[in-house]
Amino acid sequence: MEPQTKRWKGSVCDTDSWVAYPVLSDEQSQDVELIEAFAAPIVNKKETSRLVRELNSVYPLNNLQHVKRVRAVKEKGSGHPLEVLVCLVSEAPDMKVVSIDSLLPSDGVRSDGLGEPFVVRVPARPPLTRPQFELASKHWPTSFHEDKQVTVALRGELFSPPQKARMHMYMMSALTAAKAGKELGMEAVGAVMVHPVMERIIAVGHDCRGDHPLHHAVMVCIDLVARSQGGGCYSFDRYPACTFTSDTFQKVPDAEASSQPYICTGYDLYVTREPCVMCAMALVHSRIGRVFYGTASVDGALGTKYKIHTQKDLNHRFEVYKGVLGKQCEDLNNVDDHVKTEHLKKSR
Amino acid sequence: MGTEEAGEAESFYPSEEEIEKWMDSAFDMAKDALENGEVPVGCLMVYGDEVVGKGRNEVNETKNATRHAEMVALDQLLDWCRSRNLDTRSVCERTALYVTVEPCIMCAAALRLIRLPVVVYGCRNERFGGCGSVLDVSSANLPQTGTTFKCVSGHRADEAVEMLKTFYKQENPNAPKPKTRKD
Repeated sequence: MEPQTKRWKGSVCDTDSWVAYPVLSDEQSQDVELIEAFAAPIVNKKETSRLVRELNSVYPLNNLQHVKRVRAVKEKGSGHPLEVLVCLVSEAPDMKVVSIDSLLPSDGVRSDGLGEPFVVRVPARPPLTRPQFELASKHWPTSFHEDKQVTVALRGELFSPPQKARMHMYMMSALTAAKAGKELGMEAVGAVMVHPVMERIIAVGHDCRGDHPLHHAVMVCIDLVARSQGGGCYSFDRYPACTFTSDTFQKVPDAEASSQPYICTGYDLYVTREPCVMCAMALVHSRIGRVFYGTASVDGALGTKYKIHTQKDLNHRFEVYKGVLGKQCEDLNNVDDHVKTEHLKKSR
Repeated sequence: MGTEEAGEAESFYPSEEEIEKWMDSAFDMAKDALENGEVPVGCLMVYGDEVVGKGRNEVNETKNATRHAEMVALDQLLDWCRSRNLDTRSVCERTALYVTVEPCIMCAAALRLIRLPVVVYGCRNERFGGCGSVLDVSSANLPQTGTTFKCVSGHRADEAVEMLKTFYKQENPNAPKPKTRKD
């Protein structure tokens, strides 16, 4: 296939009409979980470093490395400039009345300079994203090792305009394939496999489940990729919109066997709707690089029902982005319904 | 041996004798595969008293990582239906799968999509299992992914595990593609 980027320049390519957002793991997307702890005011600031040292040895707060031990008190006129975490409520000794002396073992920490304890809630886990960090910090100062790419991706700003133009073009190909499949009575789903470094389309497939109940667009595309590598076990030649590029790798000499493609390693998949469980797991087995989809599905396995791409027990994980040409992908079915109704009207 | 209830009541269910008989065949296939250097997974699909599909892993020869034994067997079942002009769906709804290892997540979803009601398997598949080991696709609430299926698990499980262990021990540690995992 010819590189189509040029054709898009200056033509109808409204990449501003959509934003690709990352589909993150549950750990990255969930609310901040809080845990109760005793804190106490440091009434004598000069005692701070001794107090922190002694508290660290008595109550090391091992699973709360992300939580800062001391916080500054912002409110004016509070009477004390700093507050320190003493221990988790769950770690505290049995006390009839909560007091600083009953919290601290007499031989471990001198309570000089500490006021009476009170309960605070601190984040139980280190924040993984900037939104989690901002929420966590409202409760207690928290450290954050920021993954800049995730932060930028969550703002929907990960991809540059030229990258978006290419993504737009690839998803347009998937949309075209989806429509071709629909014309043949299949479900309106299209998929495009791309070699992102070469910026080249390796295979284009659409749903073919009229012939075979498992020939979803993604499964078709995976087999077309296999054919592009000299394998494959089906023929989709009767479907003009299902294509693969076979000349891509023939120039690579055998000596460079390590650079030969291996299943879908490193490839990007563009698919008009979120893959089902079967297709999502097929992509894990195929070691896909990244997946971009237009719109979510009811039983989708890359965000909706499961997040198979972030599943801890599996041996391959990958990035997933949704929303690429989301409106057009969503309209695939609506447009069809509209066409169907038109047909009905005519036949009446 | 444990049974797991899944989905609506289904009258179709293999007897103890059938399980014994067909799992013996599945194990023979797995042994044969092992002796020939293939992944030791045996799998057959039985409709009535007839084997309508059987398969072994074909990932390497097809360069298609989805060609697990179950998917190969399923294609045979579809061909069998086609050649006899039988309705695939009504055949699938009365077909049992016998397999030495728990189907992976992909295969479990595929079995739902073709509405296969019963899967009898030997050992768990801790790496990819879709009938409870990694995810429980077999009984999950997925209204657009066919029907749930029942599992009968544990038949000759230790033997199935041993065969897998033997296979993975045999594998050449200098193989160029150490990541080629099959199940």
